[in-house]
Amino acid sequence: MADTAATNTKDLSKIKEAIKRRKRETYTPVVPDSQLGFVHHNIDCIGCRACEIACKDKNGLPPGPRFRRVMYIEGGKFPEVFAYKVNMSCNHCAEPACLPTCPTGAIWKRKDNGVVDIDSTLCIGCRRCEAACPFGAPQFDPSDGLVKKCNMCIDELEAGRKPYCVMACMMRVLDIGPIDKIRAGTYETKAMGPGETTVRAIKNMANPELTNPSIAFVAHPKGKLGA
Amino acid sequence: MRILEESLTLLKKSLNMTRRNFLKTTAAGSALAGLVSTKDAKAFAYEPYPRDDELTTVVTSCEHNCGSRHMLVAHKKGDVIVRLSTDDGRYQKDGFFGKDTEEEPQVRGCLRGRSYRARLYSQERLLYPMIRVGARGEGKFKRASWDEALGLIADKMMYIKYNYGPTAILDQSYAGASWAAFHKSDQISGLVARFLGIFGCRTVSWSVPSYQGTVFSSTMTYGDTMDGNEDDAFAYAKLIIMWGWNPAYTFHGGNTFYYMRLAKQRGCKFVVIDPQYTDSAATYDAWWIPVRPNTDAAMMAGMAYHIFVNNWQDQYFINRFVQGMDQGTMPIWGRGGESFKDYIMGFSDSVPKTPEWASQICGVSVADIKKLAEMYALTKPAAMKASWAPGRNAWGEQYSRMAIALQAMTGNIGKLGGSSEGIGKGWHVEGSAVPADRWSAGEYAAGIKSDRWAHCVLNYPNVKREEVGLWPKQDGSDGTIPNIRSIFWQGSNWFNQLTNINKEIAAIKKLDLVVCMDATITPSGLFADVCLPSATHFERHDVGLPWYKGHYYIHRPKVIEPMGESKTDWQIFTELAYRLGYGPVFNPKANRDYFFYNDAVDEAYLSEWWHTKVIPHHSHDGLTMPWEEFKQRGVFKFVLPRPHVAYQDNVEKGVPWSTPSGKIEILSTTLAQTPDFRKTQYGYFIPAIPKWLEPFEWLGHPKAMKYPFHMITPHPRWRTHTIFNNIPWLRETYEQEITIHTEDAKKKGIKNGDTVEAWNDRGKIVLPAYVTERCMPGVVVVHEGVWMDPDENGVDRAGNPDFLTLDEPSASGAFAYNTILVDFKKSDLEHRPGWDKLATARSHVFRRSST
Repeated sequence: MADTAATNTKDLSKIKEAIKRRKRETYTPVVPDSQLGFVHHNIDCIGCRACEIACKDKNGLPPGPRFRRVMYIEGGKFPEVFAYKVNMSCNHCAEPACLPTCPTGAIWKRKDNGVVDIDSTLCIGCRRCEAACPFGAPQFDPSDGLVKKCNMCIDELEAGRKPYCVMACMMRVLDIGPIDKIRAGTYETKAMGPGETTVRAIKNMANPELTNPSIAFVAHPKGKLGA
Repeated sequence: MRILEESLTLLKKSLNMTRRNFLKTTAAGSALAGLVSTKDAKAFAYEPYPRDDELTTVVTSCEHNCGSRHMLVAHKKGDVIVRLSTDDGRYQKDGFFGKDTEEEPQVRGCLRGRSYRARLYSQERLLYPMIRVGARGEGKFKRASWDEALGLIADKMMYIKYNYGPTAILDQSYAGASWAAFHKSDQISGLVARFLGIFGCRTVSWSVPSYQGTVFSSTMTYGDTMDGNEDDAFAYAKLIIMWGWNPAYTFHGGNTFYYMRLAKQRGCKFVVIDPQYTDSAATYDAWWIPVRPNTDAAMMAGMAYHIFVNNWQDQYFINRFVQGMDQGTMPIWGRGGESFKDYIMGFSDSVPKTPEWASQICGVSVADIKKLAEMYALTKPAAMKASWAPGRNAWGEQYSRMAIALQAMTGNIGKLGGSSEGIGKGWHVEGSAVPADRWSAGEYAAGIKSDRWAHCVLNYPNVKREEVGLWPKQDGSDGTIPNIRSIFWQGSNWFNQLTNINKEIAAIKKLDLVVCMDATITPSGLFADVCLPSATHFERHDVGLPWYKGHYYIHRPKVIEPMGESKTDWQIFTELAYRLGYGPVFNPKANRDYFFYNDAVDEAYLSEWWHTKVIPHHSHDGLTMPWEEFKQRGVFKFVLPRPHVAYQDNVEKGVPWSTPSGKIEILSTTLAQTPDFRKTQYGYFIPAIPKWLEPFEWLGHPKAMKYPFHMITPHPRWRTHTIFNNIPWLRETYEQEITIHTEDAKKKGIKNGDTVEAWNDRGKIVLPAYVTERCMPGVVVVHEGVWMDPDENGVDRAGNPDFLTLDEPSASGAFAYNTILVDFKKSDLEHRPGWDKLATARSHVFRRSST
């Protein structure tokens, strides 16, 4: 949590170059017909974690792996304090860092909706993807030695519904949709209030240039980059 | 049989009970599977993974005493629940996936409800009757048959009643097992009340731990406790003052927190008055006013003063509807006596309750008190949600009464977007399918304040009636101190939850019989003589009701068969009643075979209730749903003709309040005309107008020299009191910790995560520190409800704050859960979080068949 990507003193353009070169050398990501992504309201989220528990139940997870993580951020000095929440699972990145690290090809990206999926029957538990992901999405399950992650409840998507986490949200601050429409503010969702806009990245989050994560936030004023 | 095996395999996998032993070999070309086709992909956390649409869907609800009630949808295969989802708009009449309107919002389960499958199948599930074999509290039990366990209880009950009389069995039922129409375990009118009432041996615990201060306050001031606006009314407020209220943790009401989000989007401003900067403060972008615990009534008095001197009060409202606000509204019998304004202005006691006076006590700056008073007086409509927590103090009812005085003087009562809180009970569904006979609420020979039982047992017979808050009786038995020899717990972990646990531990050793009925092995259960396994609400037929506001009923069919040898509470009590000779009176629709075949009888009670009570109750609003349709859909949601606002008819149509004067009694007729408080259940004097009275411990007290920190013990988000304490999914998201302000921690050399011991004269607890700027200096926070784990010295290693509370309730009966001074330091003692060891430790105790 030291330097944020935005305030990093390193030469960003050089890093970008290096990233591009590396990508060229490794793989060309699947370009989905329509990339689905998450939108989360950092302020209006009460941090209850109903989404997390719904996810644990649906995926039958033991203690340890948490596909979805509601993170609590707080700061300021008494009595001028602030707090907000950042809610992330897998960001189903446009250019997922986990995918090329997988030696068995267990991870792939879906062509139709851009969901980054993992076939746990192919996973050998080497945990390389876990290290590669800048957002901590792949989760190691010590009970069977495999890595698992959010698949955006692909079964629910295929049934025409939304993921369990979204449908669990008591405050209606978490949603999914075509990420370009969410970013353009043209997607109808209760996650965003009237007149609110989203950002691609917030403070202390890994640089979105790394993997182009499919997530947007309604940011807290203190959570905005440069705040 | 094959289906059963499949189901069990599925259960193990879905709960991840088994280790997987592969790398499975895969078909050729499958490495490209994702790029070519998704059809064969194994993309789930376990395999085979059943999709929702391949499972049987059953609508049910959660059930605990949390303040809400939400839908749970079980997806099951055979007799095993594979996963739970919640309301998605599909199940209600005219519903469809995604329907979620402001009038009929989805009632989505919270994190606790969503974890229910882990509780249902937990390692701590009590599956067989157990009889104690070691010393009481030692935790040694043997498995017993139902016949043996119930026979033992029945024999001892007869012995106790015969030898110690009609007060010898203490009813400590609570709503932990059930909040429903039929299988009730409420404190006052639960099944154990009916069971012991007919038996003729029962002492009732009359004060409600959560909110007795407001029950008293609203009863004295309004004449009833129906003072809550429906949660959708919050969306109309221009200003919402959350006084000690944290709906981000407690979720009070099915969608209260969501309606408040709508209010925020419509420009409503929020204020939070709390020693902590809560998640509610953050979410609603509230102006946070940190206040010293237990001094809220003083701060409110300062606000009232500022409103009076600026003449901002709604004098028209006061003159029409209020008794005793000022000399102009004093009743004839009270002319010249002390009015609320006399007290506030200092006319009666020469101490004007100025913002400066209040600031000295509550620690809030004069400017902030004035600013809030002005905001509240001039913003219309404004809701002041004066929550229960600040009322859980040594003079809790004074805070609640003072809050009503402010709401009355600003004319916000009975108005949409305003408030009259209070206890906050809103519009009520029709709530009881228990037989409506003279026994329905139970009868009792004695009633005491709930957390005075240990005092009563330890000091009997040298106990004065006011010490235990003895309830007055008109049957000639008035004044008889109960000789308590036994406790019945039904769905209640009260031993873990009442104040001053070390004193409880001393008292319980003196009893002859302690019975615990629960679905889970709790710390209370470890102190019982007999533990009886109750079926959970997934394993019996009932109807779920909104807890204290909300307009919906949720059907609860028997989703799965009762696990192990568990039986429903109705079955257990009915069989016990047969053994004691009054089975048909207790359960008039049943025969004795009810212990094995209860489905038809339960259906008969519920359908009769629906037809004779629910449908008539709603018919005047034109709302109805046939029982069969309700069972098929699983939910009956309805839209009220207008958002329910408490006392709207009193204000708009002149309907009198149910008080002696018919007005809002800021000067209480009942209190003013009580000649001798010792003869009342209160025991001690209570002023007729709300005042700030000094609690026995607070930061301004001389005791603060020895114990300089005020501890508060709010309700946690990750438990309903003690329920769900053992759920790994929840436990991994939080720790039982002591919240300490950064500067206080620094002075003591404590860093985030260090183990801390906190103590006072009553006890000591050990738990990790959470060091933050979000808590005001001088205050520490420990959430109530963690399962106690005391060591041999009585030091609680789990961090249960009730080892530090005092069993000294206010006169009204309000528990002093938030009146605690402590000191703390970094500790070498080990904190025992319990949850990662629980599975082995507790099940080991209960699987042992010693002797």
